[in-house]
Order: sequence, then C-alpha cells, then structure tokens
Amino acid sequence: MSYQHISYEIKNEIIWIGLGYNEKKSMTTLTRDSLAELTLAIAAATELDQKKGAKGLCFFSHKPGVFLAGMDISVINDLKNEADALRNLEQAHKLFNAVEDLKMPTASLVDGVCLGGGLELSLCCKKIFVSDNSKTALGLPEVMLGILPGFGGTYRLPKKVGLPAALDMILTGKQVKGKNAYKMGLADAILPIERMKELAPQYLTKPKKKKTFKEEIEKAAMDNFLTRKIIFQKAREQVMKTTKGFYPAPLKILELLEGGAGKSRADYLAMEAQGFAELSQSVQSKNLQHIFFLTDNSKKLDNKDQLPSVKRGAVIGAGVMGGGIAWLFAHNNQAPLMKDITPAALELGLKQASQNFAGALKRRRMTEDEFNRKMRSIEPTLTLEGMKSADLVIEAVVENMDLKKKVFAELEEYVRPDSILTSNTSSLSVQEMSKALKKPERFAGLHFFNPVNKMPLVEIITHDKVDPKTIQTLIKWALEVKKTPIVVKDGPGFLVNRILAPYLNESAFLLEEGVSVEALDEAALNFGMPMGPCRLMDEIGLDVCVKVGKIMHEGLGERAIPSTLSTKLYDAKLLGKKNNKGFYLYDEKGKSTGRNSEIFKLLPSKKKHMDEMMIQMRLFLPMVNEAAYILADKICDKAATVDVGMIYGTGFPPFKGGLLRWADQEGLEQIVERLNNFAKEVNQERYQVSPMLSMMVNDKRKFYDL
Amino acid sequence: MKPVYLVDGKRTPCVKSGAELKEIASPYLGHYLVRHLMDKHGLPSDQIDEVIVGCTGAPAKYPNVGRIIALEAGLHKKTSGYSVHRNCASGMEALSQGFDKIGSGRSHLIFAGGVENMSQMPLMFNKDMTEMFINLMKAKSPAAKLKIIAGFRPHFLAPVIAIEQGLTDPFCGKNMGATAETLARELGISRKEQDEFANRSHHLAAAATKAGKFREEILPITAGYKLDKMIADDIGFRENSTVEGLGKLKPYFEKETGTVTVANSCPLTDGGSMWLLASEEAVKKYNLEPMAKMIDYHFHGLEPERMGLGPVLAIHGLLKRAGLKLSDIDLFELNEAFAAQVLGCLKVMADKNLSARWGIDETIGTIPLDRLNVNGGGIALGHPVGSTGSRLVVTLAHELKRQKKKYGLASLCIGGGQGGAVIIENLKV
Repeated sequence: MSYQHISYEIKNEIIWIGLGYNEKKSMTTLTRDSLAELTLAIAAATELDQKKGAKGLCFFSHKPGVFLAGMDISVINDLKNEADALRNLEQAHKLFNAVEDLKMPTASLVDGVCLGGGLELSLCCKKIFVSDNSKTALGLPEVMLGILPGFGGTYRLPKKVGLPAALDMILTGKQVKGKNAYKMGLADAILPIERMKELAPQYLTKPKKKKTFKEEIEKAAMDNFLTRKIIFQKAREQVMKTTKGFYPAPLKILELLEGGAGKSRADYLAMEAQGFAELSQSVQSKNLQHIFFLTDNSKKLDNKDQLPSVKRGAVIGAGVMGGGIAWLFAHNNQAPLMKDITPAALELGLKQASQNFAGALKRRRMTEDEFNRKMRSIEPTLTLEGMKSADLVIEAVVENMDLKKKVFAELEEYVRPDSILTSNTSSLSVQEMSKALKKPERFAGLHFFNPVNKMPLVEIITHDKVDPKTIQTLIKWALEVKKTPIVVKDGPGFLVNRILAPYLNESAFLLEEGVSVEALDEAALNFGMPMGPCRLMDEIGLDVCVKVGKIMHEGLGERAIPSTLSTKLYDAKLLGKKNNKGFYLYDEKGKSTGRNSEIFKLLPSKKKHMDEMMIQMRLFLPMVNEAAYILADKICDKAATVDVGMIYGTGFPPFKGGLLRWADQEGLEQIVERLNNFAKEVNQERYQVSPMLSMMVNDKRKFYDL
Repeated sequence: MKPVYLVDGKRTPCVKSGAELKEIASPYLGHYLVRHLMDKHGLPSDQIDEVIVGCTGAPAKYPNVGRIIALEAGLHKKTSGYSVHRNCASGMEALSQGFDKIGSGRSHLIFAGGVENMSQMPLMFNKDMTEMFINLMKAKSPAAKLKIIAGFRPHFLAPVIAIEQGLTDPFCGKNMGATAETLARELGISRKEQDEFANRSHHLAAAATKAGKFREEILPITAGYKLDKMIADDIGFRENSTVEGLGKLKPYFEKETGTVTVANSCPLTDGGSMWLLASEEAVKKYNLEPMAKMIDYHFHGLEPERMGLGPVLAIHGLLKRAGLKLSDIDLFELNEAFAAQVLGCLKVMADKNLSARWGIDETIGTIPLDRLNVNGGGIALGHPVGSTGSRLVVTLAHELKRQKKKYGLASLCIGGGQGGAVIIENLKV
C-alpha cells in the first residue's frame, strides 16, 4: 500500500516515520486516516523488530514548526456515545502500546508544536528529542476541551516527569517550551533544528543522562503513599479554587491518577478510556468543543496575504485605555506613537503600559532588555507631527462626540491617505462620528475591553460608508495581536455592552426590591460568571454605568429604563474601584477589603429572600431577550458571534457554551414562558418578549438554527 | 564640497549624573531622538545612509552605540552605524564626519550626534583582583584554588574608577581640573572672575528654562525604574546661586591654593543629542525644511596640560577656512568645561601677545558677552561628554532661529589637548 498521510522509509537500518506528509492545513492533526496508516507502519516496524531487521525508529514531521497538534477535534466531536468512544480508543491503544513495546531504540524528533495525541505518541518512544526552535512546545491541552488525554497520556507522562510536573501539565493544559521540557526530563536532548535528523541516530543509542543525587532523593520522596496523598489533596484544592467545581474534567483526571496507582498498563488504560468516554459525552465538554469551533471560525480570514499589515500604531489619548492600547502595540512590536495634551497625561499612559508589562517581567516571560525595548518603543508625543508613520491610529480620548469629531478632523490632516483611523468608543455612535472625516471609508469603531491586556475581545464596528477592506485589515490586525475580533453594526452599546446592560440594570432593580448584594453576586458566581454584577459595576465605575444606562434608554426605549439605584450611588460619590468605594471597599492597590456599609442606607431596609435560581433567571433571561433584538436588528450576523462576544468580552461561563447556546439548551419555549411571567409579575416593559424570540418559538427554531 | 544641511536637531534634557536618567543605557539616550526625527519628517526607514554617534564611555554591553541606536530606532537593518570617540568633542566629530560624507556626495541622509551616560561609567576590579580571578580559573585542584584564595588581601577590593581615569590625561598625567588651574594661574584669572562667570551660566540657564526657550530643542524622555516618568527639563542648574554662595566652596583640585571648584566647572551629566543631516538632493526629494546649513568645522591640537585653550586654535583655524571674521558671527556656544578655561580663551583671543604663544600672529577678536552662551552653558547644563559637541550645535541652531540671526559658532576644548569648532548658517531667518 502507499502512504498518503504519513511517510515510511528505511534508511541505514533506521525506520523513519514522517508525520504531516502531504499536509495542506497549517496544523497537522491525527485523523482516522492517518491513524490507520500509522497502524500499518507500526505493524511493519514490529515485524522488522522481531527479526532484528532494524536498528531503531524515529518519528519526525515533514512540516517545520508543527510536529503534531493532537487529535482532530471534529473526530472527538463526532463520537456518538460512550461505547463509540471506547471502541475508537481501544484501536488507538493497540497502536500506542505497539510503539511502546518495540524492542529497538525509538525516538520522537519534536520540532514545533507537539500537543495532545502528538505528545502521547512521543511518550511511547524511549526518547524524545526536541529542536531548539522557539516554537517547539509540548503539552496535553485536553482538559481545556473538558476531556482528558485518552491515548495513555495520563499513564505515561507521570512515569517520565514525575507526578507533580505531570499533574501540572495535565490539569492546566499548559505548554512546555523545548528548553524547559529538557530541564524537567520530558525531553532527553535538545538538538539543533537543521541537524536534528542527522544527529538523531547517534543520540538514539546514547545512554540516558544519569539522575543526579538530588533527583534520586526527590524521586524517592515523591514515590511514597503519604507524599502522593498530600500532592493529590493540594491539587484538588487548587482545582476547586480555579474551576469552582464547574468543570468535571480536572476532577476526573485527579480521580484517575490517584485510583490508577499501581495498576497494570492494561487495567490503567481501560480506566483512562472509561474516563475519556464519559467526559467526551458530557455537556460541559460538548460546550467547550462548541467554543473551540466558534473561536477557530472567528480566526478565519481568507485573503490575509492581500491585506496590508500594520507595522506602526498610534493612540490618541493616554488614559487607562490609551495606555493599554499603547501596550498592545508595543507588545506586538508595532512601536506606537502615544499622543496627549500634557506630559502628566502621557505619564498616565506610560504607567498603564508599564503595569501591563510588569507581570510578564516578574514571571520572567520577558527579560529586562525586552521590557526596556518594548516600553521605549512607545513614543510619547504632544503633537500630531509624527502621525504619518502610523498605519493604524486608535483614538481613546474621553467619551464626548464633539471632542472626538474635532480630534478626527485634525488627525486627518496629519496621517497618510492609507492609514486606518479608529475610535475606541464604547457608547457613542460610530455612524455619527464618521461624519467628521473626509475619508470615512478608512474609519471604523474598534472597541477594546478594560483591561486591554487581559480581555481578549475586540468589537469592530462598521458604518454606512466603511470600505470592507478597512474591516478586513482590522480583523487581520486583531488576530495578529492575539485578540478575538467580532464585527458588529453601529448601535447603542454595540453588542457586548448592549447585552450586558439589562444584566446590570436588572441587578440594580433586584437590589431595589430588597435582594442583598451577597445573594446577587453569589447567584451570578454560581451560574459560572467570573464575578457578580455588583462587583462588575464597581469595576466599570458607577459613573459609566449611569452614562451608559442613559444612552441605552434613549436608544432602545422603555425596555431599557434605568434603575434609579445607580444614580443614587453616583450621587453619593460611590463610584466603585476608581475611588475605592462602591458596593465594596478597596485599598490603594485596588484590592477588595470587604462590603461598604454606606450602601445600606441606599438600599431598602426590608430584605427580600429570593431563590437563587430565580435571581439567575431575572438576570440572564433579559440578556437572551436583548440578544434576540440584536439579531433582529442585524447588529451581528449570527448567534455564534453573540456567544463569542459574551464569552470573550464578559467571561460568560465557557462550559455553558455561550449565552445563546445556553438559551437553546434551556429551551426557548420555557424561556419565553418565564419572561411572560416576569412581565406580568415584575415589569411589563422590561420583560416584554422580543418579536424575534416569539417568532422563533412559533417556528420551533433555535438561535443556532437561524 | 556640496552643501550640507542641518535639517533638525533635538536633545535629551541634560540631567546631572546619578539622578533621573541614571538607569538609561546610552543607546536609549539617542534612539528615541532618531525615531522622533524620522516620524516628524516622514522619512522611510530604509533611506538613512549612516548613523554616527559620539560616545566616550562606550558601555561594555554596547561597544558600538551607533549601530545599536540605528536598530533600536527602527531604522532598516541595512543602515550602517558606528561610534566615534574624540573625547569631549565626540558629538562634534560625528557631525564633522557626516559633513564630509554628505559634502563629498557619497551620502544623502545621516544621523549624527552623541550620547553619554556618565552615571553608568563602571567601577572595575584592580589588577591584583583580576589576576586572582584568572589564576582561580586556571587552578585545577581544590587545594590549588584554596591556595590562591588564601593570597587574597583587602586592597584587592579597591576599585579602579573608570571616570576618574578617563578625566586624567594619560600623557601629561594631569587631571582635567588641574589643567584649568594651570590656565587660571598662568593667565591670571581670579577665583571671583570664575565664580561670576559660573553664576551667570546658572542664572541664564534658569531663565531660559523658565521662559520655555528649551521646549523646542528638548524632546522629553521616558525615564524611571518602571519607565513611566517623563523628563522634559534640564536638571542640575542652580537657580538660586549667588557669587557669594559660590565663593564659599572649597577648591576641588588644588585644595589649599586653587581656584577651581565644583561649582565653577561643569558637573558630570547624562544626556544625548542628535542631528538629521541631509544633502540638497535629499532635501528636495523629501520636501525637508532645514533649520541650518553647516558651513565647516575645524579641529586643532595643543599641549595636553593646556587643553582648555583648544577653542582658540580651533576657532582661529575655522574662521580662516570659512573666510569669516569673528565679528561676522552672531552667536557663540563655547562649552563651559571650566569657567577658568572659557575666560582664558576669551583673554587669549583678545590679546595678540598671548595668541603669539600658540603661533597665532593676529588678534582674533573679542566675543561680546551678549552673544556668548546666552542660555547658559556647561557649568549649568552639564557636559555629557559624548553628546556636548552636537548638543552645542542643537542649542545654537535653535537660538539662531529664535533671534533670526545668520551665523553661529560652536566650539569646545577637548581633553588630551585639542579644540574643535563648527560654524552654521541659520536658514530660518
């Protein structure tokens, strides 16, 4: 037979199996076809091995920078049920075991990304050699999809690197760079990328590095019952802390590793397969896989190569957002100009950028030299003189239409005709703003979320006169700086803030009804939100909440009528984190120090107990309703865009698969029924079911059928 | 020679050593000036022929500061860059090399300037300690190593201070301050005269800063440990100095009988300066509006122990070369290394007999004080050695522009016994 997906060759009595053969996609993944071919190749190798007909076997990749990115996710997604998963795994285990059972020396020559099944295959070899390519990274990211490594990864990794290091990798899905892989014993040698294949045969037979005395002691200390128990206990605490118990996969992994101790390979692998099969069919995993595909799709851009690249950026206005945006440019080597009107204002922006770098510097993700270079690549300026150099200008001055229009009119005199100009407005009309420009076709909204270095989402806002090329160039740039872009039409609050508004507004109404701050925040946290609405309002700032509330009310009508509570807080100068007191109190560093008793005076004295589930419905159903309006208004093209926006813009719980996927799973009929009840019992206008939602229920359609 | 244009020149604030700029490595005192000038004049990054940077204490990490500045500024990798060293006139040497290259027609766009971080001049291990380290590395057995360590003596730890060595003439063995004392003695310049001149410098610098006269020439620099501060003004001049106050200071170099104090000489300083030089062709091609034209330069040597008189010879030679008289020059920037040395130059230039001692058979002339260092000089603003040569020209060009005057002359004395001078013509009249 001839190989299509892998190559099989014997040279100087060494068997060479090449992955990524004829691969057209940017990432090589394991598919049913390549697994079948691998099975054949290993069968041939085994036969030779038994006859002592070969001196060794090496896996390598034909694709530079990619060894093997693991299993094709769609294969996992297609598994019909647990039995189907188990059947597939059984086949794979046979193959992986056969690799492990080869008598001859075997090695995996890892250059580039080696993830999931790629690493599990490598772990079956007696040795792993990594290239000195900075792209070389090894990891088991399965947990991020709500599953566990199913090809023996949980069995073989602890054997190779020890329990604590293995747990760290498997539970977090983090990737280890080549050099670190060698340091921790995952790789047996680092080889220069150009001479890897040439050197591999002699490294195949080289005796393994002897363990140092310290390593021996460490191993002995780890290998006893008591230490293991402590390790697992600590790991479990850590998992509960980070996942709050919403994600079953890490817990399953711990259960498997702890329970599988001392079991034979066959027994252990059977346990692992069972764990995988169960997790792969869980709702959480299905939802996480759903997000994987959504994200993957949002990163597709067909004509990438024909679009211009941003080499230099510029930001107008050096506030918290401006500084954050300057950081983003600098971090991505796009040496930005940062313009403001006073040196003190520029210092504020520098401070923000410096703060964003501080974390990476502290964790040694960047050197002092890199910090210096990137920070100094920000060119603070008091004039618009140098703006000709900028390919992309992002305006981030205060939210005032007249001021912004003035800025753009002036800016246009200084930039090149092909520069793209954008506004980081969160609440003003991009359509209206575009009128200030002579060439509106190169203008768009570009809405970042605070803090810029942590929030992955960016909304690209269109208007009537924008050139589609401008939008595509912005998408390309956003992807290059590792942000997740969504394209939305102009409208009050665009997408994310418009959906978030009823959530925050309903929170305020609930507080007015007598529900406690704790009950409210707790209900949201238990739903899976990263923070409760009261804490979120503190983060955003009550002044902003009031302002946005007004804009929503004006733009959307009575269903968005703002609660008076936020105005009361604003009047009492309880602005949230920015002045250290809102619903909660904060110290100078912005750390929360507890509840703010001043709030009690503004809340009704009579407390109302409300069922947690009821609070959640009051909070989240208006969001679903508003999302239906958004789709009806064609603010964005599909449900998936809403979900990407809510997950990456607000931290909507990923295991729920996004707001509209959650709504689909809850059942739209039930949602409409509940909304109707709220409309009767709570407020007619705020809970009025949107025509779109009614229509979908009538047509028996879901958001994802639209 | 073809005309050579000084398109635009900028400098960092001059900040006394050990203060706000102390953490900034030399390349970063220059790269942002280059980047700013590139952006301001809209030049393509691959069109610069050369980056020439004066620096006397090249940091061990950046032996060729010029090239690093070119790269850090984001110029195209093909842009060649190098560093020059002519002691105190390194920045002026950079300008003169740029002048020759453009004047001869081989280059069209050049960055020339200087940088110096005197705060970062190193302390080095002395010879004994260095030898011990070398022997330790050679030693094979622990016993041999122990033996070497046992040979350690406390005086091994006495450091060699690079800056102290750098400011001492290796040929005549005299410290720069001592050469100023020699001039004060030989030319009869009193302590009071020196203090009065120093006081003038401090007050002129303070007034110029207050009036915002340096706003045009200083480009604020990002500073601070976290790089979140902006320094926009010179730091170091003494706003409230008085002749009486300065008179109370003890002489620094000749403690008992001397006249030169830390206050009537220039302080150690960190700073940088940069010029964009262009040919006529480049000026037309990129629509540049040059500030000035560089007329010519001249360097001249003399005995190292009287290095402070270098400007006399340099100015004399340059005027001859340019066919100008001293009275044709509207503004002078004469670097104030020491008050005694500047006053000495003025005295010699105005006196035919004194001039004759250095082979000059005429009276060069008198520089009126209202044309000399009108915004203060090195005593107040400091002397970041590698930068000063071009810093003087930056300040000069901006003042000429402000006063709408034609000719300006910048000159300085050079440790080791030389003088350097440059004449420019203001085009923004």
